[in-house]
Amino acid sequence: MSSLPASRSLRGALAARPGLGLALALFVVLLAANLALNPVRFLPDNWGAVLGLAAPRLLAALAVTVPFLAGRGSIDISVGPLMGLINVVIVQYLITGAGITSPWLVVPAAIGLGLLSGALNGFLAAILRIQPIVATLGTYLLYSGLALTILPSPAGTIPPWMTLLSGPLSFVPVGMAILAWLALKRLPYYELLMATGSDDRAAFTAGVNVPMVRFFAYVLAGLFASLAALSLTSLIGSGDPNIGPGYTLIAIAAAALGGVSLAGGVGGLAAALIGAADIFLLQNVLSTFNVSTFVLQMTYGIVLVLAVCLNSDRLKTMLKHRPGRA
Amino acid sequence: MKKLIENRTLLAFIGVAVVFLLGSSMIPGFASLFSIRAMLILAALLAIASLGQTLVMILGGIDLSIPFIIGFANVVFAQLYGDGMPVFLAFAIVLGLAAAIGAFSGAVSSALGVHPLILTLGVGTIAQAIVQLWTKGLPSGSAPQFINDFVSLGGSAGPLPVPWVVPSTLILCLAVLFVLQRTTYGRRLYALGSNPKAAELALVRPVAMWTITFAISAVFAALAGILLLGFTGSSSAGVGAPYLFQTISAVVIGGTALIGGRGGFIGTVAGAIVLVQLRTLLIGVGLSESMVQAALGVLIIALVAAYGRDAHIRNLI
Repeated sequence: MSSLPASRSLRGALAARPGLGLALALFVVLLAANLALNPVRFLPDNWGAVLGLAAPRLLAALAVTVPFLAGRGSIDISVGPLMGLINVVIVQYLITGAGITSPWLVVPAAIGLGLLSGALNGFLAAILRIQPIVATLGTYLLYSGLALTILPSPAGTIPPWMTLLSGPLSFVPVGMAILAWLALKRLPYYELLMATGSDDRAAFTAGVNVPMVRFFAYVLAGLFASLAALSLTSLIGSGDPNIGPGYTLIAIAAAALGGVSLAGGVGGLAAALIGAADIFLLQNVLSTFNVSTFVLQMTYGIVLVLAVCLNSDRLKTMLKHRPGRA
Repeated sequence: MKKLIENRTLLAFIGVAVVFLLGSSMIPGFASLFSIRAMLILAALLAIASLGQTLVMILGGIDLSIPFIIGFANVVFAQLYGDGMPVFLAFAIVLGLAAAIGAFSGAVSSALGVHPLILTLGVGTIAQAIVQLWTKGLPSGSAPQFINDFVSLGGSAGPLPVPWVVPSTLILCLAVLFVLQRTTYGRRLYALGSNPKAAELALVRPVAMWTITFAISAVFAALAGILLLGFTGSSSAGVGAPYLFQTISAVVIGGTALIGGRGGFIGTVAGAIVLVQLRTLLIGVGLSESMVQAALGVLIIALVAAYGRDAHIRNLI
């Protein structure tokens, strides 16, 4: 504690958000590369479309982040299939089946379904205490199986207002998620969530209802997954049972890249969004070079492994205490 | 009664019996020799692929690279053998590479404190992408005849009406039991899984243990990949995809806890049999493939809720 106040506050800020620095640096580099390689695409006129393209994974990353914050193995791997299920239910039952196209009905229906599925995950993982990865693996299979049963192959159309959600109005679902998060941060619940994730035993001893805190973490994951599903539906313009499940692994990778700790208590909105944006921009850069999907896949794997290794606290400690300086 | 609840391996075997009785009473032909043989082969392949997952989970980790390693071994072995390489050299190369990949995941994950879920996912993605680049997405080649016979539906092992893969899995099961119960490696595995700090004070080296265990996991995943080549006849990098969740399910149904320090391979074998039987049962009653998936999800939750629940936080203090 002999450092100057200024450097201590900087160190304090970085310590409060480990990993974010790296993800942010990557973001700046990748954004610059994108702008240099493909300036037309990033003109203000196209911002809506670009955000619409990125929105499903931004929101999916946010959805998987909340359970991670709750700690002790909390994880929701059903986020991807849930997005697929909501997509299919909206398109097949509401729009095609019942002819309901009003945003005032479709959006609440999607969010309601998300909250309900989130509550189911929360009940299984937090209240019934099935190991979270198993509980949400069960619902992963359930949601993806149901989606395929409801709509075995891609079909259906979406009303015009919904198409706008991946174009000029793409900021709406993302904005809703950001507002929801900012509101959450003002609630006492946020502190309880971070306390539970950092040290659940201490939190429990201090009187925190740990199971309920975890339960609501899954409900929130369901909420963000439903917004992701709306963005996804708008982007693909139809119902597709096969596209959702793939989002789980992308979202988990994005959260890890952004510095969200799988052990709990570290991370948040910024980490999830920047991590997801990194992956999106990386794929964009690579696709302008027309590389094969295999190169894309490999680069994505390498960036993921490098990023989580460089984010490692233990690596930082090792570098700090090099032999000879100890 | 309490002791019975605590013996999760036994419970998993009771599960095997119950599902078998259900199946044979509901579906004609479920208990026929052909059907039992098919189920045993599928369960043996799943059990081999899940061996590593079991050890890794006893250690308190998780290995998501298993499906990628299965695909990797499946394609690389077929390619090498198809190019005229001697079988045993191809074997050695594939298993050696797999061991190196697994060792890397285990070492880095443990030394740097990176969650194995993310690391194995990343490493697996890279391995699969490299293989796809090498074969340009169009794998070729096939397995030698003796591997086909080893897993063939019509095969027999001496007087037994099942191919060699089934009795071999039983022997493997006994070998793993011996290693886990009677060797220092086994002791260290359980010690490190149940209490990493105490184990380190008892001079168990975590990085070494993680490196070895993830290497073993990758080797058996690769073995499963090679055997699958014999079973399906042609190679594909995506052949391992269903194994991502099936290995986790088999291990968990078999009573190994994800938090580490508890469980064993015998339970996993029972878990693999239960999973394969349930699939057969659900398809047999006429459900579509997607409904089978949904029903399996519910059944996995129900099974684990019945005997695999975590302790309440108040009991962890």
